[in-house]
Formats: sequence, structure tokens, C-alpha cells
Amino acid sequence: MGAVDLLAPDPPVLAKTLTVCLVGMPNAGKTSLMNQLTGGHLHTANYPGVTVTYSRGKSASRWGPEMHLVDIPGVHSPFEPSPEEDLACQIIAGRHKAVQPDAFILVADATQLERHLKFAGHVARQGRPLVVALTMTDLFPRLRLSVDVPKLADALGVPMVVVDGRTGEGSAELLAQVKLAAERPVPMNVLRRLPEDPVEAYRAVDELLERSGALISARSEVLTADRITARIDRIVLHRYFGFPIFFVILAGLFAAIFWAARPFMEGIDAAFSAAGNLVIEALPGNVLARFVGEGLIGGVGAVAVFFPQIVILFFLMTMLEDSGYLARGAALVDRPLSALGLHGRSFVPMISGFACAIPAVFAARSIPSHRERLLTIWILPLMSCSARLPVYALLLAALLPAHAAWTAGFSLAGIYLLSLVAGALVAGMTSRLVLRKRFLSVLAMELPLYRRPQWKPIFRVSWLRSSSYLKRAGVPIVVVSAALWLLSNFGFGSHTPVEAAVSSATLVAQADLENSFAGRLGHTLEPVLKPMGVDWRVGVGLISAFAAREVFVSSMAIIFHVSGDEQDQQPGLLEQMRSATFANTSQHVFTPATIIGLIVFFFFSLQCFSTVAVVRKETNSSRFAVSQLLFYTGFGYVAAVMFVQGLRFLGVS
Amino acid sequence: MDAVLRIGLGADVRLIDVLHRKAYRIVRLDGPELDCRRLLDLGLTPGEAISVVQATPLGDPLIVAIRGTRLALRRREAAWIWVQ
Repeated sequence: MGAVDLLAPDPPVLAKTLTVCLVGMPNAGKTSLMNQLTGGHLHTANYPGVTVTYSRGKSASRWGPEMHLVDIPGVHSPFEPSPEEDLACQIIAGRHKAVQPDAFILVADATQLERHLKFAGHVARQGRPLVVALTMTDLFPRLRLSVDVPKLADALGVPMVVVDGRTGEGSAELLAQVKLAAERPVPMNVLRRLPEDPVEAYRAVDELLERSGALISARSEVLTADRITARIDRIVLHRYFGFPIFFVILAGLFAAIFWAARPFMEGIDAAFSAAGNLVIEALPGNVLARFVGEGLIGGVGAVAVFFPQIVILFFLMTMLEDSGYLARGAALVDRPLSALGLHGRSFVPMISGFACAIPAVFAARSIPSHRERLLTIWILPLMSCSARLPVYALLLAALLPAHAAWTAGFSLAGIYLLSLVAGALVAGMTSRLVLRKRFLSVLAMELPLYRRPQWKPIFRVSWLRSSSYLKRAGVPIVVVSAALWLLSNFGFGSHTPVEAAVSSATLVAQADLENSFAGRLGHTLEPVLKPMGVDWRVGVGLISAFAAREVFVSSMAIIFHVSGDEQDQQPGLLEQMRSATFANTSQHVFTPATIIGLIVFFFFSLQCFSTVAVVRKETNSSRFAVSQLLFYTGFGYVAAVMFVQGLRFLGVS
Repeated sequence: MDAVLRIGLGADVRLIDVLHRKAYRIVRLDGPELDCRRLLDLGLTPGEAISVVQATPLGDPLIVAIRGTRLALRRREAAWIWVQ
């Protein structure tokens, strides 16, 4: 026995840096505390095998003892958990292989003690050292509430520290307490004895709060004492004002992603083009230089060009989330969306999808239930993304007489609206036919108190989330772009790509496209393209568009031998397209029927390998990503053929 | 009117049938087991005071106040909650 006692305070074990997990219910203020404790030096990581991200970092030296801090996802309930909750529960129960914390910091919202203490009981029951960090105490005056912290800590038998994620107040004491708690054996306490059953647990917590007299509340029975929140809710969820306010916020979100990001995107695009050209011009005629300049730098550029949109989207989303509005917006639209099998929160990814499917897929993370998240990701490729815009512009210009610009505008608006309708139909049908077991998840969504957003943490969080996009999506997108470059620049006929003056950094070389692998592929595909009413040249355009849809336009320009800048290409290209005929015949390639067929094809098909790569990463399922690609592209093809043949049958050539 | 009458008699009613902005007490939860367990974990336990604050513009979900917080509950979920 004596030997065991001597071994207990083993110095090497104690000297190692502690790993501490921040746990708590959602909206407890974990993220801003994490920010404060690490001094903002945190990075995101992914758990192996799942797509849940978490942030980790070392505690800042000014708060005392150094520790490894891990911020794990918030948990509402361990029953029917979302992927995030499931993972957090595994870590709490000590069943996770990679994250084995020495101690927990339980972040609890002091304004909602009953619920947060009940959850604290769940964590304490695991028998690990635990320190409670009380947040949101700055809201006490607003809620006419106060908590006697020493009394409460006494009653619970656990160390308890008041912290403020904004000012850093309490951080040093918190870490000191964590160190102390981790060094001592975990004592039996009231919190650990809290019953597992929710009804019993709540009863015990209620009793405890009453008996200890720690909670001094002036709130009348249930109606939230926070008048500000009640007042704002009455306006933003108002029967008549609710939706107009929602649409204004939505329009702002859309405008920011669509237009505010544009100058940055153009800047990045120009910078990468210039860098690519620099490499090419440094070694003229060198194949490797062209591969590096166009294929690789172009590919990296294709990743980087989405970055501004993603930063802006995450910034605005985090702001909406933190202020408390996001949950209200989701509540507003939950009824129509849940009827389709989606979730109220699906609205953010769907709107983002009109800018670009890639940030939208990332935005789907905010949907709590797995099934509804997957269904949202499933329909995102239908949302008319901004890369389709130049394609539609070209095709509509070819279809409609030039003098009536408004008809093109109207048609474009129609396409946008139809894409939303198509998304709704596909979601509804998928949830009813494929996911036949039509079980609905529980909404029961917490509407947090309205708070003024804190800029610094929001900046940091959105930066972290955006840079995780670069890490996760970057490699596959670069690889695919490089592969497509090789396909369109090499062929059996000529093994050296033709030296061409590339004015804009398109992925496709100027002159030799016909002999390239992509060109061959276009020829091979001709029998398949025939029902769509187009020839191999359009086929090459369609193949190259898998790098990014807008590449279709520049590929068409190359293949129809139209030179010049992108701006003055269009009239020449239109001229060429109008006169283009099938080889050795006088039959026109671009007729109203085939142009409409192409629009239909672009409307449905998932012509974007970047999206496929990101979906694969996010869903952690190649099967999901590939079936999505095949479904939409196949559907687009069938629909296009049906339109072309149907129109021809009706006498429209 | 019907709902008011029944409350007057002290009988149990579903949370979808109650008057807005009035306090009630949860009697029991009657719905799919796992779903109800989740509601219990959120603090919707028997004996607790609850109030429907308002409906959203489309009538669904309802905004409910409980334990000092607000929840958005679908009518389907609110129908499982019997109150007095």
C-alpha cells in the first residue's frame, strides 16, 4: 500500500502539459472563451474519419500554466445526436481515441443555470476533473438576475469561476483552478451524483438552486425577463413585418457574396493570371513552364478565387449566428423547408448556392441533423451559381435578338427562379422517394438572447473557417485543374502543345485543342452529343467546363478561333457560332432548339469538379459525391435531349 | 373558446391549443420516445412552467418560453406536450 501512495504524486506525469477540453451546450460562449484563453492563436483540425471540425491551441502565457486547449462542439442532448454532438459525447465519455482530455472546462451560461447545470451533471458523471466557467454574467442587469457564485460552487462541490470572453476577466483564475483540479483526485460531489434521467436531474437542479439560495431571480414564472429580446422578436417574427425584414437581410447577404466579393475575386484572378504568364514568358516554349503557369498556378488560382466569397459568407453567417438572428430566420422559413424534408437552417446554404456551391456546401454545417444536412447538400448544385452567368449570357445572346436586351434579362431572372423551384422539387421528391422512411427530426431550436456581435472573435472564427476551406478543398481542386489542363493540351497527334500567345489564362491552349485528349474525347462523344443537336466542338466546351462552368465561354472562343480580349470576344464569337455548321453539311449547329438544350443542360448538370471534391470532403462519402455528379449530369443530358427533340418535333428547328 | 373552457375545468390540453402569452404547467409528454427524450433534455420536463410567446408568420413553428429561454417548436412537437 505504501508503495502505491509513493507513486501517486508521480512528478513526470504531473509535469506534462495538460490537455483540457472546453465543453458545454451551444450558445454558452465557448468560442469566445476559447479565443480569449488562447490569445487568438488557435487552429482548426478535423477528427479523422468525420467532417466535424474543432479548434485547438495553447493557452496564452499571460494566463499562467500552459495547457493544450481543445474546443469541442456544443451538445444540446445526447439523444438523436447530430454528427457534432455525437463526437462531443464520445470525447466526454472518454471513448474517443484521438482526444483524451485530462480535465474539462464546463462552459455554462449563468443566465440559464438549470439547463446548463443539468448538462454539467452529465459531464461530471464521467469522473474527470472539472471546473465550471460561468459566462454571460454581464447580462444579469438586463435580466434582473444574479447568482451567488461561492454559494453555488459550495452547493455543487466543484470549482466555479466567472469568466468574460470579451475582457478576459477570470481567465487566469480559471486555468489555475483547472491545474489544481487536475492534480488532485476527483472528489465525489453533488454534480457527479446528479441523476441520469432528465426529469429527475432537472428536479435535483431546481431543488439545489432553491435550497442553496444561490440564484436570485426577479423573473416572473416563465415569460423571459429579457424585454429587449421579447421586443425584437415581436418585430422580426411579426406576422406582416417578419418576412420583409427577412428578405432585406437575405438580399444583403446575397449582395455581399455576389457583388462585394467581385472586386477581390477579379483582383485574385488577375494576380494569378499575371503570375502564370510570368512563368510562361520566362521560359518561352517550355512545356513544363506552361504546365506550371497554366495548369498549376491556374489551378491554385481557381481555388483562391473563391476565397473572398467564402470569407464574406462565413463572416456574415457568424455575425447573424452570434447576434441571434440566424435562429429566427430559420424559424421563419422552417415550415416550407421542413415540408420538403429540409431544415429551417437550410436557407443560408441555399442562398449562398446562388453565388457558388462551394461556400454553400460549407455553410450546410450549421444544419444540426445529418439527414437534413445531406439533403441540403444534395440540392445545392441546382442553385444557379455565378459561374453559370457568363454561359447563360452567351447562350441567351445567341438565342435572342440583340436589340431586345430586356428579354434576355427576363429569361435570366426566370432561370434563377426556376432553379429554386427545381431545387424544391428535387428535395421534396428525394425525401419522399429515396428517404422513404419519412421521419422528421425534432426542431426544438433554441432562440438565443439578442446580443451585440463581438467583432474580433467573429473575424477570427470566420478566418479560421475560411482557411480550413483552403486546406480541405485546395488539393483536390488543384489536382483536377492540372489534370484537365493536361487533357486539353496533350494528344496523340502532337506531343508538344502548340506555342501560343495566351492572352488570358484559360486552361485550354489556343490552337491545338482539336488534337488534344479533350478534343478526341469530344469526337468520341459525338454520337452522344448528336441527340442534343451539337457537334464535337461544343462537346469540348462542355468537357472543359468541368474545371469551372465559365470556362465554356473561353473554350468556345478558342475552338471557334476567335481572338482578342474577353470583352471584345463576344460579338465575334456570336458571329462564328451563328455561321457554324456540322462538318461537310450546311446544317447549323446553334439553332434555337440546340441553344435551349444547352441552357437546360447547364441548368441541371453538375459541371464543376471543385464542387464534387468539396462535397466528397464534407460528406466523407465518395458514393454520395459521385452519385450526385452522375444524377445531375445525367438528368441534365436527358432533359436537354428531350427539349431539343421535343422542340424539333414541334417545328422549332 | 373550447380550449379556454377546458382549461377552466382543469383538464389537460395540448400546447398547440393554449392561449398565447399565458403561463401553463407541463403535465406530460406524449410522442415518439427518442424525440420526447430530446425535449426533456432541453428542459421541457413535467411540472415546469411553459408559455407560447407567439407564432411565427406562417403559423408554424411556435415560439415557446421555458426555463428562461426561448425555443422554436414545430406544431408537431408542441402537440406532444400536454399542459394544464
